[in-house]
Amino acid sequence: MTLEWHAAWQALIHHPLFGVGITLGAYQLAIAAYEKSRWVFLQPVLLSMLAVIGILLACGLTFAEYRDSAVALSLFLGPATVALAVPLFLNLRRIRQLFWPTLITLLLAGVFATVLGVTLAWALGAEQIMLMSMAPKSVTSPIAMLVANQIGGIASLAAVFVMITGVIGAIVGPSLLKRCGVRHPAALGMALGLTAHAVGTARALQEGEECGAFAALAMSLMGMFTAVLLPLAILLLR
Amino acid sequence: MLLRGLSWLVLCQLLGTVINVLVLPMLPGPIIGMLLLFVFLLLRGEVGEPLHLASRSLLKYLPLLLVPPAVGVMVYAEAIAADFWAVAGALLLSLLLSILCAGWLMQKLIERQQRREAP
Repeated sequence: MTLEWHAAWQALIHHPLFGVGITLGAYQLAIAAYEKSRWVFLQPVLLSMLAVIGILLACGLTFAEYRDSAVALSLFLGPATVALAVPLFLNLRRIRQLFWPTLITLLLAGVFATVLGVTLAWALGAEQIMLMSMAPKSVTSPIAMLVANQIGGIASLAAVFVMITGVIGAIVGPSLLKRCGVRHPAALGMALGLTAHAVGTARALQEGEECGAFAALAMSLMGMFTAVLLPLAILLLR
Repeated sequence: MLLRGLSWLVLCQLLGTVINVLVLPMLPGPIIGMLLLFVFLLLRGEVGEPLHLASRSLLKYLPLLLVPPAVGVMVYAEAIAADFWAVAGALLLSLLLSILCAGWLMQKLIERQQRREAP
């Protein structure tokens, strides 16, 4: 009797749950590795991303197929975004006390982050389409993809820049800020949410409830400001 | 309990999507949903236990939910490789500078406000 090894393997890697399975497995391993070593470069999102890419390449699967089979996870990204309203509300009193610092930081640092990124990429010789995909790099990926589309960039490329920015920001952000004397939880959260959106917010939640609330606030306000103002600004500059 | 909270979250997201299509095409559905929930909480004045439970459980797994979009990097490996140094340099440098700028500015403004309130 010969076993159908090949057929079994194909059935396994093309099963609709395969994407969910490898993501769950990679994530738990990444969490375990992170908690054991406490090494900042082992951010769970980055580590799981690399592990999943490795598995996909080894099995010869495309990203499109993975995306379809991991849709059960991606679907919850929407409700999770909605859920950010809860920590935002719970810390409303503190945010209200710091209303002007929050608003001023948001406007100045938000414009600074966007303009600096595009200017630097332009000065270093990146193409127009790259620039337009990069402009919304500091906002959460659904907004960034929409905005990139509107201003003539590539939506999924924007999502990639958003992810890279978020992951690096979450990795180096907290220690960099603390080393430079920024210790107030609101300031830490603000910086993380404003520049590193959802990944930064997830990282800020590990620092504490107040830090997380300001990160969520900064992320959502930055997202809204960018969605409304960036297409307008590009329109006026042309 | 958890299910009731989840239903609220899903309802807000769905309403957000409707509003997105009808009047606000520049803001994505989930963000409008978050604003709706926030306004609802403001009007109600407190967070009910089901909603608290559901949001805490979902947000705990936020990093996990972000893994599938992150894997999208593999599709654009070539386009990124072509402009690699410009893109990497610009991303990294602007990120570091703007994180510091945001954190430092916020800290200074907080300190200034605290000094003003407690002379």
